[in-house]
Amino acid sequence: MNPHEPTADPLGGVHIKYLRHCPRQLWLYMRGYRPEANSDLVAFGEVVDATTFTRRRHVDLGEARIDWVTAGAVIHETKSSRTPSPAHEAQVRHYCLLLERRGINIRGGILHYPLIRRTTDVPWNDDARTQAEDTETEAHTVIAAPTPPERLTRSKCRGCSYLDYCWGN
Amino acid sequence: MPAAGRTYWLTEPCRIRREDNSIRIERPDGSPVHIPITDIRDLIAFDHIDINTSALSLLSQNGITLHVLDHYGNHAGHFTPAQSMASATVVRRQVDITANPQQRLTISRSIVLATADNLRWSLDTDLLDPALDQLRTALPQCDSNDALMGQEGNLRRTAWAVLDTQLPPWLRLNGRTRRPPTNAGNAFISYLNSLVYARVLTALRSTPLHPAIGFLHSDTDRRRNTLALDLAEPFKPLFAERLLKRAAAQKHLKETDFETDVGRAALSRNGRKKIAALVKEELATTVYHRTLKRQVSYEELIHLEALKIVRLCLEEKTYKPFRPWW
Repeated sequence: MNPHEPTADPLGGVHIKYLRHCPRQLWLYMRGYRPEANSDLVAFGEVVDATTFTRRRHVDLGEARIDWVTAGAVIHETKSSRTPSPAHEAQVRHYCLLLERRGINIRGGILHYPLIRRTTDVPWNDDARTQAEDTETEAHTVIAAPTPPERLTRSKCRGCSYLDYCWGN
Repeated sequence: MPAAGRTYWLTEPCRIRREDNSIRIERPDGSPVHIPITDIRDLIAFDHIDINTSALSLLSQNGITLHVLDHYGNHAGHFTPAQSMASATVVRRQVDITANPQQRLTISRSIVLATADNLRWSLDTDLLDPALDQLRTALPQCDSNDALMGQEGNLRRTAWAVLDTQLPPWLRLNGRTRRPPTNAGNAFISYLNSLVYARVLTALRSTPLHPAIGFLHSDTDRRRNTLALDLAEPFKPLFAERLLKRAAAQKHLKETDFETDVGRAALSRNGRKKIAALVKEELATTVYHRTLKRQVSYEELIHLEALKIVRLCLEEKTYKPFRPWW
């Protein structure tokens, strides 16, 4: 293996979210380019996280940080977005998978969108497990690639903190 | 680097203190100024400042760099957060690229050429064209960084002579001098150059690159951040020479803005303030970027330049140094 390539670490929620949004973003993230600190949207997300569901405690798994877990092992995730997206569900499914591997009997997940006051259920069954495992393999494939995936079309890059890097030539 | 705070220019002597999770700046006159920590990207100290460890640790936690300029406007040093954005993958590639003499020379050459073109652009005169042609023919033959720097030095000397013709007598450079600058013009250029250097360093800090592993400048002589010096090169004409010309034409700078001694000159407190305002305004000037499809400030151009080097390291994209397109 090329010594310059990052080794396969356990994946967290961010990895899955990035993979679903844009594989290139995940590739760059794994190689240490992380411009999120300068992003307004990321800062906004942090504020939403800090000001909603404040009585709940984060569950830190090391590689991932789950927003909170309630009785019967239901995984909760808060999103500052106003539009539910498949990336969010994939992230929750990944958390389910991580917890299940630790021997916990998972019932499912719930996505919270406090800005639109909606929740979305994410079921956990054999189907979801296969999906989660596929996503994980896909992420590892992207990360191991020697060259970055192509960037998306310009219009899909709106709001991404990697936009300056990808398009500023 | 969009959003997330702004640069604070401390042009007067002041004391920096921490108050809860914000910064209090006490000036000798009037009441203290309170700045929320999230509003600061970096601090530039032009004059004496007093700071304590609790303030420094707050700055460090929030990833804020403090630049210190000395009396003559040289970059005296900086305080940077303990946790940096550095990434081993990128730094290894950076080392590989700079260790390859061929690749290194190609990049150095393009930096020198871009700097020369930018100089020509900022002086806006065809008096420089013969020197530029000479540089273009000489560059491909240069097979070491010293030779490249020599060629650049030749062009710079001509350029400064040309610049002198556009300046009032008291502001003329009459040959470039440093450490300390001997006259007002040189003091101005030195000052602006270190400001640009400080801006580049801040930009590099927000990328995974190592600021000391560079291409053009030799990395042994003065133990400075070579990459920051390299990337500052194409931007110097945009700020130093062009602002000097403008300040002279608009009669914005007065002789009293400099403290001139025999054989040395520095900016007075008032002059420093004027220049800080001038540069601040200049850095905020925006132009339309064609691939980002939005207005970007000159400050951001420096950041984008640093990203080009990241792209070079991660994806082997050819590095094309900054040239003004407007």
